[in-house]
Amino acid sequence: MGCSLAASLVARIKEIKRTVNPDYLFVEPSEMVLTQEMVDATRMGRRDVSYDIGPFITLIDGPAFERVWEERQPLLLGQIHKADLVAVSRTDLLGAAQVKGILLTLKEYRNPVLMLSVRTGQGLEEVMQPIVTG
Amino acid sequence: MKLVSVSGTNGSGKTTLIRELFGRLWKEGKRSAVIVNEDGVIDYDPEFLRENDTWVTYLRGG
Repeated sequence: MGCSLAASLVARIKEIKRTVNPDYLFVEPSEMVLTQEMVDATRMGRRDVSYDIGPFITLIDGPAFERVWEERQPLLLGQIHKADLVAVSRTDLLGAAQVKGILLTLKEYRNPVLMLSVRTGQGLEEVMQPIVTG
Repeated sequence: MKLVSVSGTNGSGKTTLIRELFGRLWKEGKRSAVIVNEDGVIDYDPEFLRENDTWVTYLRGG
């Protein structure tokens, strides 16, 4: 995330705080943004406007894991690093052996990893908890 | 206002998860907004946003 984009993000956060002031403001960054960059940008914003910083969640695409891990490992590791919660998504499309393989690969970098499926509801309570508490 | 970041590669289900969380938070009486810093392949359905009293804005570029 470049400096100007981080500044634009902060400006947008400020605008939403002033105009909408929702209970929760979600940020869905571009896929190339690392979690550390989001942490830095959102901290920077608090110099200018008051808000709480909730969990930094990273989703790992379950069905595409093998390919993405092979091609873009530095990106995935950069999104895992500094995340408060890491979840393997779309687990309803995975077999038991695939889940085992993903967890084994990630174990060295992150443990625990949440299994998440919006379709079946698996893991949703665990995602909600750090959002609504603390 | 509490900020929640949802990162991941394209297709990892960020928008799907955020939409689900909007609905759950709305049922608890909480209002949400989202800033999408994305190339915008999947847009949020305006009807869904109205029903959930949710606000969305796009930030272009990576």
